Amino acid sequence: MKERTEILASGFGGQGVVRLGQIIGEAGVRQGLHVTMLKSHGTEMRGGYVRSQVVLSKDAIDSPICESPDCFIALSGAAYGQFRHLMPKYGIILYDPAFVEEISQSLDCLQKAIPAKELSSKNFGSPLFANSLVLGAVARLVGILDKDIVVESILRVMPKFHDENRRAFQIGYDYVG
Amino acid sequence: MTAETQRDKPGKTDETMKRYLETGNFAVAQAAVMAGCRAFCGYPITPATEIAEAMSKLLPRVGGYYVQAEDETAAMHLAIGASLGGMKSMTATSGPGFILYADPYGWAIGCEVPLVVLNAQRVGPVSGITGAPGQGEFYLSRYVTQGGNFETIVLAPGTAQEAFALTIEAFYLSERFRTPVTILADQLITDGWEDLSIPETEEEKRLMGLKFFERRAHPGPKFYPPTDEIDVPPVVLGMGAGALCSDWTPTEEGYDIETVEAQHKHAYRLIYKIRNHKDIIMRSETLFLDEEPDLVVVAYGTPSRVVKTAVKRAHERGQSIGMIRPISLWPFPEELFKSRATYLSVELNYDGQMVREIQRAAPCGSEVHFFGKCGELPTVSELQEVFDKLLKGEPLQRRGWETEAW
Amino acid sequence: MDYLATKYLRSRKIPSSACSGCGLGQCHKALVKAIDDLGYERNDIIWGTSIGCAGRQTFATWKGDSFAGTHGRVYAIARGLRLALAPEKRLVLTVGDGDAFGIGFNHLLHAVRTNAQMTVMVCDNLGYQSTGGQYGWTTPPGVVTDSSPYGMFEPNWVQPGRDVLMILKEAGATFLARHVSMDGGVLVETLRKALRNNGFSLVHVVYPCTTNFGKNALGSRKPVDIFRWIKSHAKPLGLEKEDTIWRTGIYLDASNSRPEFSQFMREKVEEIRRRHGNEGAH
Repeated sequence: MKERTEILASGFGGQGVVRLGQIIGEAGVRQGLHVTMLKSHGTEMRGGYVRSQVVLSKDAIDSPICESPDCFIALSGAAYGQFRHLMPKYGIILYDPAFVEEISQSLDCLQKAIPAKELSSKNFGSPLFANSLVLGAVARLVGILDKDIVVESILRVMPKFHDENRRAFQIGYDYVG
Repeated sequence: MTAETQRDKPGKTDETMKRYLETGNFAVAQAAVMAGCRAFCGYPITPATEIAEAMSKLLPRVGGYYVQAEDETAAMHLAIGASLGGMKSMTATSGPGFILYADPYGWAIGCEVPLVVLNAQRVGPVSGITGAPGQGEFYLSRYVTQGGNFETIVLAPGTAQEAFALTIEAFYLSERFRTPVTILADQLITDGWEDLSIPETEEEKRLMGLKFFERRAHPGPKFYPPTDEIDVPPVVLGMGAGALCSDWTPTEEGYDIETVEAQHKHAYRLIYKIRNHKDIIMRSETLFLDEEPDLVVVAYGTPSRVVKTAVKRAHERGQSIGMIRPISLWPFPEELFKSRATYLSVELNYDGQMVREIQRAAPCGSEVHFFGKCGELPTVSELQEVFDKLLKGEPLQRRGWETEAW
Repeated sequence: MDYLATKYLRSRKIPSSACSGCGLGQCHKALVKAIDDLGYERNDIIWGTSIGCAGRQTFATWKGDSFAGTHGRVYAIARGLRLALAPEKRLVLTVGDGDAFGIGFNHLLHAVRTNAQMTVMVCDNLGYQSTGGQYGWTTPPGVVTDSSPYGMFEPNWVQPGRDVLMILKEAGATFLARHVSMDGGVLVETLRKALRNNGFSLVHVVYPCTTNFGKNALGSRKPVDIFRWIKSHAKPLGLEKEDTIWRTGIYLDASNSRPEFSQFMREKVEEIRRRHGNEGAH
């Protein structure tokens, strides 16, 4: 098993990037893993992006920085441009084409589009559930995460709209299947 | 097997303990209440505000008081007052408030008031960058007030879990040494989220190595003995002991006096009660020092976490490297700097503060280098580059406007 | 003073280390007399002091517990202490004019705002005398000091329309008075009332400094000159004359009309504990 799993999420303010990281972290704790999560601070937000860096590991975590993300959730063009160079070959970029319009062809890693905003609007008449869709995809693609526990964590961190969130999660999960 | 040692490692957890994904702010507030803190006096300041907020919620539930003061000077004086009345008390701030603590620190150190102070370091000088980590108060936390003639106890957590354990330790030490104990944290510890185990039963607390010390009251009349002894009960007012405490040089009973001999007796106590019992305070973590490595990297607080990852990886690659992480920062653990080596201080500032202390502690013939970033952590790849250079005997250069070096 | 001194004061501190002719003793004695009149014992009262003449000379004179805050901070220490002390204990502070109305004014105001129980006697020697005699916030207009060699020309805080007691009144004090130290029995009576208030009381008492103020302002170190000068410029409220500097008497007596700081804190905490105490720490 891998020493540590790094998940980086970045986009602009108001997209729930910190919430995304928090849910993944919560799932990690519930799975009995060690977790660190650095959320973006003021300087970054004024720099035009918001970032969550989550590290999951069976052992105590030293560096909390995502320097070689296993998974990069890119929710804005600026975020994609800022962090794509970090990606190792084995990593995967999960991006929402509604926000990341141009994809670099020169990267070695896998890049997967998840039209979360569009799917959320289509299924629920609102983009509100895009993040649960993304989390469904992340739960499937990131080996260390347990699907059911991620759902539990979503419901714990977001106390409203349980049915919609559960369904959105499944749509995302199936989409990357 | 790695030669990894941590003296009296705090924060050992058990898988059965209650676990949270929470911030260091949460951890500190939980620990303070568990340690018996019943008065928190604060003033809002990023990134320590959430400690105040958490205390305002938690304390009334256990019969304690949260007081928001008119400024930081008042905040720490209020905390002093509560402690003088027999309550365990605490305050927390960041750099711009910490400098205003200089005044009450002097009073609390001189009157030997048990108290816990947390500083979540951010980027300075002055207001600087409010929500980003810095390490600019390394020396300020040692020389927290004017006048000299005292030692200070400063603990530096590297994780939220350690912040929890060290907050309890800070209360413990403050009671035994009758002095304010400073927790020197940084923005990433207070604001960063981590898995956190909180003990609930006595057995769990014992397993975590937590120690507690109840408040006692000095019966008088010699409140200020001219000795280095610890475990002297502090002055508590309102007990009918005829207690005296003031900002003036005290006689043994606490009367104000202006003689050099009385001042020397008082200063002796303030200095040597700490110097001569340093073993009780000392905590550190080291990696591979028994291999007498060529390069020893020194860091405290959150940058030490990245350093640890980088040092372990460099060691795996066969580089002759080790690490020292002071957990108790003051008194400075100079005992750890025994071998002649190339030392590298990694800090969250551009001016290099701890590097000077390493220069003092390292044996003759050692080299001491500095690598500084501020407002953000160094990365493993940056550190690896620095290690490679130093191990090849090449000097470090600054990389403007990213990193600073000596 | 013998009976009172034996009962309440530490022999080590008698005679006091104040300059000869200093009027601080009158203030101190009046306060101890008022305390005795009310039947307080030495352990009923915790005595705090400031720096400067008033603080230094009264520190550790009280036989019970005594503390001295550094410049201007004693009100903040006292407010924290008030939280931890048993409700029936009384806090008494003897402080100077610079401490209360200058360097400590912000802290004083917040003690006032919260109506924290402390009986503050501001012993006013009309400037910074322990540092050699510089002007302060109550120095009368025109007075020559070491730092106002051309006469005090800044506004001070005891003149009508700019009276510090009015600020404190609006800030929430529940007992306010002004006297001169030679007011004798009247001063003692005011102090008794101040002590009976379970809230913030402040009694401003002007006293003569012969060593610096007398010498600089009046050109005389003779106690009789400055005693007479102060007395002649003080008149009870409503009987002011043109040359009156200090209008004496009780400015406000709203004793026990508002909740005291530690009392409402205790009550609120008790209420929260009842409602939320079982919710645990998380």
